[in-house]
Amino acid sequence: MFLDTMFLLSALATLGGALMVVMSKNLMHACMYLLLSLFGVAGLYATLGADFLAATQLVVYAGGVVILMLFAIMLTGGVEEFVNKFGINKIPSMGTTKTYTIGAIVSLIFSFVILKTLSPLFKNYSQADLPPMESTVEDIGVLLVTDHALAFEISSVLLLGALIGAAVISRPRKINGGSK
Amino acid sequence: MNDTIVSYLAQAPGYSLAVSKISEILGFDATGLVTFLVFGIAVFIVVNVMALVGGLGTYAERKISADIQMRQGPNRVGPYGLLQFLADGVKMITKEDVTPRDADKTLFFVAPLLALVGVFMSLAVIPFSSGFTLTSLNIGVFYLLGVSSLVGVAIFVGGYASNSKWSMLGGMRGASQIISYEVPVTLSILAVVLMAGGLSFGTITEAQGGLPHQWFILHNPFSFIAFFVLFVGALAEANRAPFDLPEAESELVSGYHTEFTGMRFAFFALAEYIEVFVLCGVCAALFLGGYNVPFGLGSGDFIIKNFPAVHPMIAKQIGNVLQLKVFVLKTLALYYVVIWIRWTLPRLRVDHLMTLCWKYMTPIAIFNLVGIAIWIYAFEGKSMLTLMASALSAMAGSGGGH
Repeated sequence: MFLDTMFLLSALATLGGALMVVMSKNLMHACMYLLLSLFGVAGLYATLGADFLAATQLVVYAGGVVILMLFAIMLTGGVEEFVNKFGINKIPSMGTTKTYTIGAIVSLIFSFVILKTLSPLFKNYSQADLPPMESTVEDIGVLLVTDHALAFEISSVLLLGALIGAAVISRPRKINGGSK
Repeated sequence: MNDTIVSYLAQAPGYSLAVSKISEILGFDATGLVTFLVFGIAVFIVVNVMALVGGLGTYAERKISADIQMRQGPNRVGPYGLLQFLADGVKMITKEDVTPRDADKTLFFVAPLLALVGVFMSLAVIPFSSGFTLTSLNIGVFYLLGVSSLVGVAIFVGGYASNSKWSMLGGMRGASQIISYEVPVTLSILAVVLMAGGLSFGTITEAQGGLPHQWFILHNPFSFIAFFVLFVGALAEANRAPFDLPEAESELVSGYHTEFTGMRFAFFALAEYIEVFVLCGVCAALFLGGYNVPFGLGSGDFIIKNFPAVHPMIAKQIGNVLQLKVFVLKTLALYYVVIWIRWTLPRLRVDHLMTLCWKYMTPIAIFNLVGIAIWIYAFEGKSMLTLMASALSAMAGSGGGH
């Protein structure tokens, strides 16, 4: 019962947050709803017994990504309301019949593909069939440096590249080779 | 499942009896309900005690600062001014709740709550004693890092929602500071995880002993440095002086909480003081032996051996109370140091703050991590003092042969 409750709450947070991200007119609010949605996803991981993944979700998204997004929104000045004082959109919306149709078809195709790929997983497990919850930390650690060592290394090289790139971009430039 | 306060209480013979009694009365299996209730009561106690600690923290801050500056400090309300924080609380509640006209109303409402929620979430894994840990998660330290970063979001959002220059600058400083200092803090914690071989606070604490030479801080030279890196990083993460730039009153009025009044401001202040307690507790658990009590007093072995008349279960409870005391004592000692530092050192400049983090503390933390990894590989995890002792005894043995 506890797991069911937790699943429902997490799923509600995830879906509700995601919906509000799209519906919200204010970018800053959208970002906060994204935080809610990401928390919901962490809750879903925890319900599935993937404790390490849930904590990683919190550390990476709640701690890092959302704050960086808030920074980016603020520094680019994208926080103004998109409706005027009469409640009418200042910027015409992009939704026309054509875009909605294309969007619907694309999402339909994608959901078919995803459901087809995941179909072997959709079995009705009863609570007793499930393996007991165990710590996943050790398994993840062992897999990362054995089977998935290449992916691990490639992603670390990618992150190093991003780090160096950021340092190069933010480095103070010399103007005309002289002093500042 | 991991150890929780429920699994600890379930060891007592009365627990299962009580559960079956309640099941009989209610007519259904009450295990889940009792678990829920026990957790509810435990959480209620922890949150309220922590709120009290936060309140007394403001009193301690003023009293210790007064002591350092040769003043009297609050001494009118109650004995030694002890009830000053209650008077402050009443003042906060009765104040007018002002929301600036151009503030972002929703976020202005959410930010103080987010700060307090983030701190209270981290209380779930604090190891007060071997029995009284709300839940000893397998990923305890990692979880704590994750939820405590919520405070950073709260500070940033609070600064933004106020729609004031000072708040904005304070919020930006707070967020950038917290993100930056998370790197050396996490690396130092990782070093401890390497030594203990586990992420849960229980494993880490059990890997240490009650006496100072068994603590991780004196395990090897690298961990000695790592403790100070963690402590300084924790100061910066809790926005404590000398890193209290987000609320630097000489330049930013009051920083990110300038526009907050009454209880909203109190929430931010309370969150800050509780976070200091939590971070001091983490430092104590990771490096200073946590709740370990020397001579087997904590596990109750000492009492069982020397006073056979005492029931083992009671001996264990006495041990638990001692553990609780030791943990709180260590944490409060660190709390004192934090306040002491605040009233001793001047504030850093923003660029100095970032230089300190990225050019000094992060490389030192990485160096420590590598050093500890090599140490554990080379000496098979033995501590410095063990090695010295064995070397001395070997020397004495060879000396005796002459």
